[in-house]
Amino acid sequence: MITSEGMTPLPRKTVMRRFLAYMNTNKLLLLMLLPGLISLVLFKLAPLGGMVIAFQDFSAFRGVLGSPFVGLEHFQRIFEDPYIWTLVKNTLILAFYSLLFTFPIPILFALLLNEVRVRWIKGSVQSLSFLPYFISSAVMVSILYTLLSPSTGLVNDILARFGLDTIYFMAEPGWFRSNYVLLQVWQTFGYSAIVYIAAMAAIDPSIYESASLDGASRFQQMLHITLPSLKPTIAIMLIISVGNIFTVDLDRILLMYNQSVYETADVIQTYVYRLAFASTGFPEYSYGTAVNLLKSLVAYVLVIGTNKLSTKYSDTRLF
Amino acid sequence: MMRTKISLFDICNNIFLLLIALICTYPFLYIFFLSISDGRSIASGDVVFFPKNPNFEAYQYILTNSSLGIFRGLLNSGIYTAVGTVVALLLTYMTAYVLSRKQIKGRFLIMSLFVFTWVFEAGIIPAYIVLNKLGFVDNWLVMIIPNAINVQFLIITKTFLDGLPTELEEAAKIDGANDFQVMSRVFLPISKPILATIGVFYAVFIWNQYLMPLIYLQNPNLQTIQVMLKRLVISSGDSNTAFRTIIQDGIMLNPGNLKAAAIFVAMVPIVLIYPFVQKYFKKGILIGSVK
Repeated sequence: MITSEGMTPLPRKTVMRRFLAYMNTNKLLLLMLLPGLISLVLFKLAPLGGMVIAFQDFSAFRGVLGSPFVGLEHFQRIFEDPYIWTLVKNTLILAFYSLLFTFPIPILFALLLNEVRVRWIKGSVQSLSFLPYFISSAVMVSILYTLLSPSTGLVNDILARFGLDTIYFMAEPGWFRSNYVLLQVWQTFGYSAIVYIAAMAAIDPSIYESASLDGASRFQQMLHITLPSLKPTIAIMLIISVGNIFTVDLDRILLMYNQSVYETADVIQTYVYRLAFASTGFPEYSYGTAVNLLKSLVAYVLVIGTNKLSTKYSDTRLF
Repeated sequence: MMRTKISLFDICNNIFLLLIALICTYPFLYIFFLSISDGRSIASGDVVFFPKNPNFEAYQYILTNSSLGIFRGLLNSGIYTAVGTVVALLLTYMTAYVLSRKQIKGRFLIMSLFVFTWVFEAGIIPAYIVLNKLGFVDNWLVMIIPNAINVQFLIITKTFLDGLPTELEEAAKIDGANDFQVMSRVFLPISKPILATIGVFYAVFIWNQYLMPLIYLQNPNLQTIQVMLKRLVISSGDSNTAFRTIIQDGIMLNPGNLKAAAIFVAMVPIVLIYPFVQKYFKKGILIGSVK
């Protein structure tokens, strides 16, 4: 133990006495920390320990401690499983499409909102725009089902009135990605825009005033003052999004997908879910955990890497 | 104001943004219109911008018909949300408070462990094995306890507490207060804004949970409204459905308005608290926008 006195270890008695004195003066604080510590150990660290079943043939009867170790067998199976590549492909395509749309739309929305001079319009548009973020995915997907239903849905009703064929949107693999991204944009654009709106509020108004005295139009001001001021925020948000590229909204996909759209909708996390909880045969806990472990490793490296990047280029640590 | 001229751009922009706001809210209104309309007009596709023959029979039907489980689901979700939010606030605040006290040794290590488990996800299977062993399967406490400390909200709360002057603690200590009294009488009252912010987020988070109740609550009597919704509205699809067409006092109820009523009751609590708490949402994202 290194103490403030120096490198030489103190007599055991003194260390003990100090420890007791520390415990005594802070006993209430330590007691208050106890529930948090228990929660950390039981609900956050124990599951990390539970990941060892990826290297075992886990059986629920024998438990984590009694199941036999099989080394990297499950990981070998991952690389031999052709379906894994479909899952990786689906995950990345979904993530890429959502990035493509959910990233620029909030910026555009914030820029347009910033130009609104009528207070009540600005306020109410902003408030209503982030309402969908707080509605559950179960409700949002239910609404999407209602709107897109082939027999009674509003969208197909309109298509039919124009003499077009009805489309069973929720059961066609070709429509899944569009539906997913549409729902994500609808749910998140207003909420994501708040960051940019706050960044705009911090811009010094005198810059705009001198620009307009120099004869800059509103559009020119947006292009040459507002947008450049947003650059650091945009950079950070982009870095975060890229770091989270393996994160899909599991709730939303579980609610939206069905067997007929697995071709495009099945992603790593939904596959892991099915291996353990929805399999008709025996739940494959070990294999599912191995798949998830690999995914978590890649995601971890990405998040840490992007965090390093953002520290380097923007002086902003994300955590 | 410097700029008072109204240009064509202004007009177009305002109209465009109002349209966006309408698109954001119209689907919710549409669902509401469906739920209070007569079944016949829904079947003929007449309900688009206004309800037809408004009545609340669909709500009465889905809430009183206990075999559907909607009332049970709403009640369960309500209890989980209320109890869960209080427990989460208490635990998160207490932990953040202690971890913000400089005299506590090892607080950096504890915080780092929290952050690590947040960035590196163990996944649903190891979590299930642990919670199953601890007796959380088919136990309503699974909605309250395992997620009572959300790492993101813990960081937000700790950052807030780190920013408060330590003199507050010293002064109270001199007056003879113990650590618990310092926290509850001195720090808690000035932490109201942060508590309101994360409280709202916890409440919304618990109310909206889908995966957790789906995996852990097999007993239908414990199930939440979100899982009921999936079963009654989404899984039942177009043809085979839990709802049937019925005629009650001359009013026709069909699966269309019964489903709509079920969707609407699942979002009503959020819509009701929304006007009161939206300023906290804005604050919440600004301090919580990083991972």
